[in-house]
Amino acid sequence: MQGKGLLTGLSVTIRHFFGKKVTVQYPEEKLPMSETFRGGKLVLDQKKCIGCRLCSMACPNEALDLTVETDENKKRHMKKYIHKSGRCLYCGFCVEACPTKAVTWDKNYAIACYTRTDLTYDAVKSDGRNETHE
Amino acid sequence: MTEAVSKVIRTEEYQLSMGPVHPSTHGVLQILLTLDGERVVKAVPCMGYLHRGIEKLMESRNYFQCMPYTDRLDYVSAMNNDFAYCRAVEKLAQLEVPERAQYIRVIMAELNRIASHMIFIGSLAVDVGATTGMIYPFRDRECILDIFNELCGARMTYSYIRIGGVKSDLSVKVIDMINVFLKNLSAMIDEYNDLLTGNEIFQHRLKNTSVITAEQALQLGLTGPMLRASGVNYDLRKDNAYSSYEDFIFDVPLGNSGDNWDRYIVRMKEMRQSAKIVKQALDGLPEGSVMAKVPKVLRPPKGEVYVTTEGPRGEVGYHIISDGTVKPYRVHIRRPSLINLQALDLMCRGYLVGDVVVAMSTIDPILGEVDC
Ligand code: SF4
Ligand code: SF4
Repeated sequence: MQGKGLLTGLSVTIRHFFGKKVTVQYPEEKLPMSETFRGGKLVLDQKKCIGCRLCSMACPNEALDLTVETDENKKRHMKKYIHKSGRCLYCGFCVEACPTKAVTWDKNYAIACYTRTDLTYDAVKSDGRNETHE
Repeated sequence: MTEAVSKVIRTEEYQLSMGPVHPSTHGVLQILLTLDGERVVKAVPCMGYLHRGIEKLMESRNYFQCMPYTDRLDYVSAMNNDFAYCRAVEKLAQLEVPERAQYIRVIMAELNRIASHMIFIGSLAVDVGATTGMIYPFRDRECILDIFNELCGARMTYSYIRIGGVKSDLSVKVIDMINVFLKNLSAMIDEYNDLLTGNEIFQHRLKNTSVITAEQALQLGLTGPMLRASGVNYDLRKDNAYSSYEDFIFDVPLGNSGDNWDRYIVRMKEMRQSAKIVKQALDGLPEGSVMAKVPKVLRPPKGEVYVTTEGPRGEVGYHIISDGTVKPYRVHIRRPSLINLQALDLMCRGYLVGDVVVAMSTIDPILGEVDC
């Protein structure tokens, strides 16, 4: 019968019209991010960091700009950990490369910002998340 | 009288530029159409709007650092691109991939193929004007993206398949998610069939339009579903089996007339076959490690390789030349979308403007891959 296919299709639509919602009502509702989720901003745990620079060496796009300081006991620690997120590919190679698991993602995926300079931030200052540099 | 009128009212060919900002060009592609009334005389795709120079970028990074860039070629099926790149580097560096990793790669590549074909169905539906038909495949593709997100932390740019194996082993949760998805897939495909395949308007738009014969397809160098829709049985997973594909039983769906309808049906059938492969791979998943011993600093010996993999759009090939250093000397990528797109002119000539949109859609190009 001509038009039968159309009606079958329409029945699917009607069935779903009265069915359960499948979309998440963002921003009232938010999905939890997975354990492995790569995204948001980088957080550096200064106590764990040994200043080996392996993270920045693993980075494919030179998105990390580190300033390492050596104190009087010849111990290296991170002074500045600039993440140029505008260059970042979110590949997570930096996190994987770190031998002491000092650098992690904060998983806050809402990272849109108004100006270009806001894209660059220092991961050392965990309290100054939105501070800009350069 | 009529003769006199036809002399006065003369139609003249004119040019129409479709794109680069047009919803049905799947990205930033410009098509220069030469029209005679509503008939297409010539269709020329103008590419390059999304060119990022990925081949060049890869030459200035080491072999590991190239991974995120291969993700960004065909971003709808990034797993398959990573897969092809890794196989090329592994061949160059003579690395042996553990069997478990090979199986996991197959699972992920096939899931990504299903996701990619879902995008195809959705965008084809919206291109022929069935907006409702778009929502369902996109909703279901989300299930696969959730699996990938759980697996590697990204929905599109996975970097999961790595040189020498895969990034991490499958967790119990991921295996469960895949099983649930496989169980639901059949119902999902039935729903698309109800919505689209049986729809008479949809059939009228697709059947007997943009026919490519087997001979023409071979001459143009088409691969993947485009080629198989014309009836040529060529699938690298069968004909040049890699990564344990020989262990799985599956069919290669073929079309016979090479029209838009066949290209649609072939992809529809391929989804079920991919699910079959995933099921077999999950059931027979061997034990062992998922990563070969790969040196921290990879310096493949001097030489060159060309390795091909069957992606959702066709043959993805990587030609890599090594000069013995940590960076590739030259990378050339055979991108199936680019080559399949060359059939556009043939597919549009003599048809109406409305058919250009459908032809474009059944080629299923991803502009990230076309422009590289
Ligand atoms: S996620 Fe990748 S691109 Fe971004 S900073 Fe880390 S290594 Fe660099
Ligand atoms: S964050 Fe990790 S890899 Fe980077 S310098 Fe510190 S310890 Fe080394």
